[in-house]
Amino acid sequence: MRYIIITITLIFNLILQSTLFEYISIIDVKPNSAIVIIISMAFMRGKTEGAVTGLIAGLLQDCFFAPYIGFYTFCYILVGYFCGMFFRGFYKETIITPLLLTAAFDLIFEFVYYVFNILLKGYVDFGFFLKSVILPEVVYTTLISAIIYKILYYINSLLEEREKFSQKLF
Amino acid sequence: MDFLYKYRKVIFVVILLLCVAAGIYSVNRTNPTFAENTFGFVITPVQGFITNVSSWFGSKFNVITHISEIEEENKTLKVQLAAKEEEIHRLNLISDENEKLTKLLSTSTKYSDYPKLTANIIAKDPGNWYNLFTIDKGTNDGIEKNMAVISSGGLVGRVMECGFNYSKVISIIDDTDSVSAKSIRTDDIGFVKGDLSKRGTCRMEYIDNDAEIIEGDEIITSHLSEIYPPGITIGYVTDVEDDKSSLSKYASIETAVDFKHLETVFVITEKFEKNYTEE
Repeated sequence: MRYIIITITLIFNLILQSTLFEYISIIDVKPNSAIVIIISMAFMRGKTEGAVTGLIAGLLQDCFFAPYIGFYTFCYILVGYFCGMFFRGFYKETIITPLLLTAAFDLIFEFVYYVFNILLKGYVDFGFFLKSVILPEVVYTTLISAIIYKILYYINSLLEEREKFSQKLF
Repeated sequence: MDFLYKYRKVIFVVILLLCVAAGIYSVNRTNPTFAENTFGFVITPVQGFITNVSSWFGSKFNVITHISEIEEENKTLKVQLAAKEEEIHRLNLISDENEKLTKLLSTSTKYSDYPKLTANIIAKDPGNWYNLFTIDKGTNDGIEKNMAVISSGGLVGRVMECGFNYSKVISIIDDTDSVSAKSIRTDDIGFVKGDLSKRGTCRMEYIDNDAEIIEGDEIITSHLSEIYPPGITIGYVTDVEDDKSSLSKYASIETAVDFKHLETVFVITEKFEKNYTEE
C-alpha cells in the first residue's frame, strides 16, 4: 500500500517535472523535485524506505529521460540510503532539517553528476557550471522542498494512521 | 517480506551493481524495451494534456503582460512582410530561371522538398543538463530512429529512440551528439555539437586552419553526414577562434532555431542513413 502510494506520487511528479516545470523555470533552471521526495521519504521513514523510493524514482527517470539507463537509479538509491541515516534524532515536525538535507544532498548529487557527465568530457571550468546551473538549482530546489515536505508529511501521517489500525500495534 | 528486509543491504548493493551494468549495456541501444514502451504509451497522453493546458495559460499570460510590445512588433512585422513578399517575388523569378537552366544542364535539383510530419513537443528532460525532449508521434506514424527533426528556422536534432506513440529527440545543442556541417559560403567542413560552456549555443569544431570562415557565415548540414539530409540550416557563426591544442579552428554558432520557445517540430520521414558496411 505504502509503495503503491509512493510510486503514484513519483509518476505524478515526473509528469509535472517534464511538462509544467518548463513554465516555472527561473534563469533556465528547473528545480529537482524528485530528489526532494526521496529525501523527505528517507527522513521520515529511514534508510530502507529512502533507498526504495530512490530506486523507483531513478528507474522512472532513467526509462523516460536519459541517454543511458542506470545513472539516476544509482545516485538516487545512495541519496535515499544516506539521507535515511538522519532518520533518528530529529523532530519530523520542523521544516529546517529537511530543508538543510535537501540543500546538502542536492549539491552533492549535482556535483557527482558534473564530475561523471561533464568533467570527464573535458569541461574543466567548474566555477562556471557551479554559478550557472548547480547553485541556482540547489537554491530553487531547497525553496520548493518546503512545500513538498509539508504535502508528503501530511500523506505520511495519513498512511501511518492507517497502518497503526491495520497492524494493531498499539 | 522478512527475507527481503533481512538482506536489504545485499539487495541494494546488487541493484547498484546492476545499474552500472545497465548503463554500460544501454549506451548504444536502438529500441526502447517493452516496459519502457508500455510506460511511455500510458504516460504520453497525460503529458500532452498538461503541456497543452499550461502552454495555453502561458500564452494568454504573455499576451496580457506584453501587449504594448506585441503592438510594436506587429508594426515592424508588417513592414518586414512587405519587404519579404517583394523578395519572394524576385526569388520566384530566379527559381524559374534556375529551373530552366538546370533542365538545360540536365541535372536534378538536389535539395528538394523532403516529406515532413508535424509533431508537438509534449515533455522536456526534467534535469538541467541534457537537452532531450519527447514528441507525440511514434512508430505508428512511421517515425524511425535517426530521422532528422527540423523546425521553421532550421535543424533541431534527430530522433534518438521511438516508442509506439512517442519519440525521444536529442537536440543539436546537446553536447553528446554532433552533426557534420559546412559553411555555405566557403564550403569549409566541420563538426557541430552543443557547447556546454555557453548554454543554448553550438560550437563547430575541427575546422581547417586555412579555412576562411568568418563571423556571420551560414552553417548548413553537409553532404558527408551519415544521418542528416544535406542543406538544412544549422545556424550562424558568431565568433571564430584558434584551438591551440589541435591545430584547428573552432567557431561559436548561434542556432537558427529558438530552442527556448520551441513547440512544434517537423520530422523528415525519409531516411538518409547511409550504410557503409558491405552486405
